[in-house]
Amino acid sequence: MAILDEPIKDVLTIKNYVDGEWVESEGELVNVVNPANCKVIAKAPISTGAEINAAVEAAKKAFPEWRKTPPLARARCLFRLKELMEERFEELSRVQTMEHGKTIDESRGETRRGIENVEVAAGVPSLMMGYNLEDIAAGIDEYLIRQPLGVFGIIGPFNFPFMVPLWFAPYAVATGNCIVVKPSSEDPISQTKIAELTEEAGFPSGVWNVVNGGRSVVSGMLEHSGIQGICFVGSTPVAKDVIYSRCGETGKRVIAQAGAKNFLLVMPDANFDNTIAACMTSFFGNAGQRCLSGANLLVVGEGLNDREYDVFYAKVLKAFVDAASRIRVGYGLDESVQMGPLRDKGKKERVVGFIEKGIEEKAKLRLDGRKLKLVGTWPHTCFLNPTVFEDVTPDMTIAKDEIFGPVAAVMKARSLDEAVDIIHASPFGNAASIFTQSGKLAREFQYRVQCGNIGINIGIVAPMAFFPFSGMKDSFFGTLHGQGQEAVRFFTESKVVIQRWF
Amino acid sequence: MSEFKATASTIINLAEKFEDDSASFYEKLAERFEKDKAVFLSIAQESKKNKVLVVRTYRETITDALEACFSFEGLDLKKYAVEAKLGERASYAEALKTAIDLEDKISRFYSDAAELSKNLLATIPAAFRKVAERRNSRIRVLESLLNKSKAKP
Repeated sequence: MAILDEPIKDVLTIKNYVDGEWVESEGELVNVVNPANCKVIAKAPISTGAEINAAVEAAKKAFPEWRKTPPLARARCLFRLKELMEERFEELSRVQTMEHGKTIDESRGETRRGIENVEVAAGVPSLMMGYNLEDIAAGIDEYLIRQPLGVFGIIGPFNFPFMVPLWFAPYAVATGNCIVVKPSSEDPISQTKIAELTEEAGFPSGVWNVVNGGRSVVSGMLEHSGIQGICFVGSTPVAKDVIYSRCGETGKRVIAQAGAKNFLLVMPDANFDNTIAACMTSFFGNAGQRCLSGANLLVVGEGLNDREYDVFYAKVLKAFVDAASRIRVGYGLDESVQMGPLRDKGKKERVVGFIEKGIEEKAKLRLDGRKLKLVGTWPHTCFLNPTVFEDVTPDMTIAKDEIFGPVAAVMKARSLDEAVDIIHASPFGNAASIFTQSGKLAREFQYRVQCGNIGINIGIVAPMAFFPFSGMKDSFFGTLHGQGQEAVRFFTESKVVIQRWF
Repeated sequence: MSEFKATASTIINLAEKFEDDSASFYEKLAERFEKDKAVFLSIAQESKKNKVLVVRTYRETITDALEACFSFEGLDLKKYAVEAKLGERASYAEALKTAIDLEDKISRFYSDAAELSKNLLATIPAAFRKVAERRNSRIRVLESLLNKSKAKP
């Protein structure tokens, strides 16, 4: 099948967007590589400390005017941004496939999810309203108003280069704050495109800034006294020991969404075909590089005797392996492809390391993704096919660690109780799903499982923009979450006024 | 299971092609067969609207959570291969028969795709069903024209 037209023709030089100007960084440039064909598509800067400061100062300078801008006027900027994103929908989606590697369907899905956050945030005149009560005492009224705080830093991950910063940015600016976005240095082009659209949408200079770079930029943001809060999505060690810890020390608000190891339970009464289809997207969509990906498939024998359980387990395993083996892997701009490459060579090598560890720890390799079968002729550098292990036990490395790649571990649990215990032994608590026809079991699962996002017959438990993206245990550090009402609360201070007129 | 994998993107592209080809096919019919020009132009116009409906619905619905790459597994696209072309010397009756065959295949494509994806996607199957119904209505209109043409001496 033909490859869709690539929107990036020449190597781009990524600039910072500060105070409404496109500024070339003085920092070192690093290559942004399309992982499917290994071609350099852009050069992105590792910005200097002075450049971070300039962006924060620009945001601080813009804040007083932006704060005074009526919420309805701020919302109109977001409406215009949404319209521009709709107009450029296809280009924005193809850019994601080029810079990240995901399939075009996945990229379009990501674009849609991002736009939905802009749409929800555009409801700020209602979302930001406070509340009041007359006559709390004789002639005295009390009310609550929500006020913006100033400047926020938003640090994006590589796995959703377009969408994740939009879990936060639209709400921050809608509520009257100004922002500095730091995209992943691995795939920063989407955020550059969004910044171009904010300029076109008429956001005042300094409200929406983008500074490119890596760890040094993150440190600069964390240490900057002009930043009131940080939104971060990335790995657990960084979220916990760097972001959450340093924000606590410097008195910043924080949303730090972290790693995961998500369990999917298949119960004996599950709708079989739909469950297997949902599992494929969950385990292998985005090449397994998402914090909501399925990682461990627990085949649960609730109510079955030993013989029945063996038959059920074998049936699930066979269907899962068969379906995984048929997944077409290749360049995401080929529309027939169902799974793209890993983001880069290092990430592939890391995943291969886990596969080797699984073999070493005596898990049974049922499908070896190292044996490449690609659609089209592409460098093998970043590609892996789906991998499936069985006979995985909870103590094995591949059952415990976040692999962040297309590797599924199939495990056994004789009962729902045992399955819940296995889930709870994991330090992570991002998502868990159950596939069943039983309302009773589903309700029990939802009630007991300590994970922030629960799926009932859902493979990817991705909350919509008007719900918070939750998370528990080592998967989330902070109090309020991104998206929807919680984001509005995060980006505002609640001020209470009690008034009496003599 | 068909060897060729039908991703959501492939299906939408095929639907777009069906609607584009149909529109130009009926525009040509309108040029060739003046007496039913209004009917053919109206069908061509409807195909343009179908395309907008399908593409808009896809873009507004597609998300990473909705099993985007696997929703149409098993759909054998070869079954729906159509040739929306009219021979130079095709008679009015032959043209109508070609049109009915075209509508039948495309309608089945939309119905089958809707059925396969009904548990995984949200609004896309509904849009497909709607277009399938419109296509079935066309068959009735075209058959009636064909019968009328046969009835005439």
